[in-house]
Amino acid sequence: MIKFENVSFNYSKSDDRSVKNINLEIKEGEAVLLCGESGCGKTTLVRMINGLIPHFYEGEMKGQVLVDEMNITSEELYETARKVGSVFQNPRSQFFCVDSTSELAFGPENMGLPEENIKARIERTVESMNIRKLMDRSIFDMSGGEKQKIACASVDTLDPEVCVLDEPSSNLSLEAIDDLKETLKRWKKAGRTIVVAEHRLYWLKDICDRVICLNKGEVVFDMPMKEFRLLREDDHRKYGLRSIEENLSMMPVKEKISFANNIVLENFAYSYKKYDALNIDRLEIPQNEVIAIVGPNGAGKSTFSKCICGLMKGFKGYALIDGKRCRKKELLKKSYMVMQDVNHQLFCETVMEEVTLGMDEENEERVLKVLDELGLSSFAQRHPMSLSGGQKQRVAVASAILSDKDIILFDEPTSGLDFYNMEKVADLIRLLRGSKTVFVVTHDPDLVRRCATMVLSLENGVIANKYTYGEKRENGRKEEKCYTAAV
Amino acid sequence: MKLDRGILMDPRTKLLILITVTTFALGGAGGEATAKMVPVLCMVPFVLLLTAKRFKTALIGIILFAGSSLLLSSANAHNMGGFLYYMILGCCGLLGRFLPCIMMGRYLMESTTVSEFTAAMKKIHVSDNIIIPLSVMFRFFPTVMDEADSIGSAMKMRGISFGGKHSSKMIEYRLVPLMTCCVNIGEELSAAALTRGLGGKVKRTNICKVGFHFQDYIAIAICIVPWILLIMDVVK
Repeated sequence: MIKFENVSFNYSKSDDRSVKNINLEIKEGEAVLLCGESGCGKTTLVRMINGLIPHFYEGEMKGQVLVDEMNITSEELYETARKVGSVFQNPRSQFFCVDSTSELAFGPENMGLPEENIKARIERTVESMNIRKLMDRSIFDMSGGEKQKIACASVDTLDPEVCVLDEPSSNLSLEAIDDLKETLKRWKKAGRTIVVAEHRLYWLKDICDRVICLNKGEVVFDMPMKEFRLLREDDHRKYGLRSIEENLSMMPVKEKISFANNIVLENFAYSYKKYDALNIDRLEIPQNEVIAIVGPNGAGKSTFSKCICGLMKGFKGYALIDGKRCRKKELLKKSYMVMQDVNHQLFCETVMEEVTLGMDEENEERVLKVLDELGLSSFAQRHPMSLSGGQKQRVAVASAILSDKDIILFDEPTSGLDFYNMEKVADLIRLLRGSKTVFVVTHDPDLVRRCATMVLSLENGVIANKYTYGEKRENGRKEEKCYTAAV
Repeated sequence: MKLDRGILMDPRTKLLILITVTTFALGGAGGEATAKMVPVLCMVPFVLLLTAKRFKTALIGIILFAGSSLLLSSANAHNMGGFLYYMILGCCGLLGRFLPCIMMGRYLMESTTVSEFTAAMKKIHVSDNIIIPLSVMFRFFPTVMDEADSIGSAMKMRGISFGGKHSSKMIEYRLVPLMTCCVNIGEELSAAALTRGLGGKVKRTNICKVGFHFQDYIAIAICIVPWILLIMDVVK
């Protein structure tokens, strides 16, 4: 079905992220997992199958890619679109319309199909994916999981023979990943050929039959899933892979926690026009520990984060820190959020300027020390936008430390990261423990187990569970349900 | 939550209202002849906003509009002069003229779906080269707002605000990250649209039905009056 013949590619803008001498054949109805560390070339392969390379992303390409005897490399993109459907990583930038129904119709409309046919296709997709309640709604008001469902549905209405997905689970909660898994299962049953590039592997173990691992643009192994599941952890680590038998338990790290000097959050409640997003009367949190905030989409995690950072308009609650009552305004001074899209918070022309922006007085010695601790010394004169994602994150953290913030909140710091980079983030957060109170909003069990010392699980705006190491009763439920396990 | 869009109107009607309101309320075309129609026209956007259940926006708009008109007319009645009068004239005049147009524009953006808009433009035979960029704009506005919001929060956390230490660089700090983010999103968006077959040679279909209904005829009737008055004025 899909054939790579001696394919090599170099992006014209940068030297890295190229692929070399790829020869692959993927059979009809096969489900293939592409894995490997960040920048290994898996996204490049996906872009070759859907034709974005070489038609949209420019570079030097050798060899050719065939899908069902059609030469993707020379064929126009809109012809490829009939055969290959694509789902991307970022749910917010892959829909073209504002409302969900038009979005589903968008693909078939481009094909010039008759109106009745399009309506029938939408109806069939809505029925089979069970998304009736998402229809006729503004996509801007949807959660990440729902947006990703709409993205899948709009691929489904085109009825392609091949579906490619590029890190589709990066921004999803564990619950939303389950839904995505169902969709893929349905596609596979319908006989479609599926290619998924992913970092999180566990959810694909019963879907994909074949695993292709890339490293520095070359295929390092290509084996059936059965064999891949027999590999040892070390083999996974060697290529920067996360475990296929991912441990979904969110058990924090075993550490001695002092509850002597707690931060007390009082009246952490907030409602939007129609519903209560957050409703916490009183919550005690140990100071200078790492607290993971977990829970499904829409549980109130982001509302909670905004409240604690003092960003919520009209928020009436307060925190008692060292006996002092901090309301919205003081919280804004005391806390800092490292956003999921770090690009939002980098303003200056050099890293040095950036990290000293919020400082009350210049203190070069201290700046250099912090930069050194975070491994940023050699980048001090670089433009922050020229750094990699992880480095940008460190710059944001450095500026928080230097502006003497007491509370640092990370908003999904590991979404879309491979094993190495996830561990680096965990190291960074561990470094902060003991001097800052750190909140980590995350869906990533690996990260929780590596750096959190306490877990707060939110559900419907209330604390459903709060535990430290050993406190949580593992009640031996099925793995899928493990993460929502309540005490 | 379903989209709450108030009275369903053809996008072409909405465009006609927008053009009419801007021509007569903002541009002041027709002078004496149409002056009596202007307040009626100015009320149209607020009524439409009310039907779309944007009560707060409509109410604030009406109060501002009525307030500025009253203030201006009372200032005129008292034969005021000097600096204060010019201040009132300037502020209220601007507000009174711009507000209805802005409200109408907002109503148009909020109540029209991209596909309705495209369908309507197709019906008046506008070329695809104009329709596609315009429809992308519809999609892009909310995105830019979202991004700007996050950047605003990030700035607050860094203590960058008016009156703060870095107030001179406010605009730079706001715009630079905004542009970076919009460029990224724009690129991803185009990639996604291309993989779904946008730009093909076949004629696009549109499942969206647009057409004129009772409410459209009423609105058109209201809009036509000042135009006729204007033409009569010119011919005379």
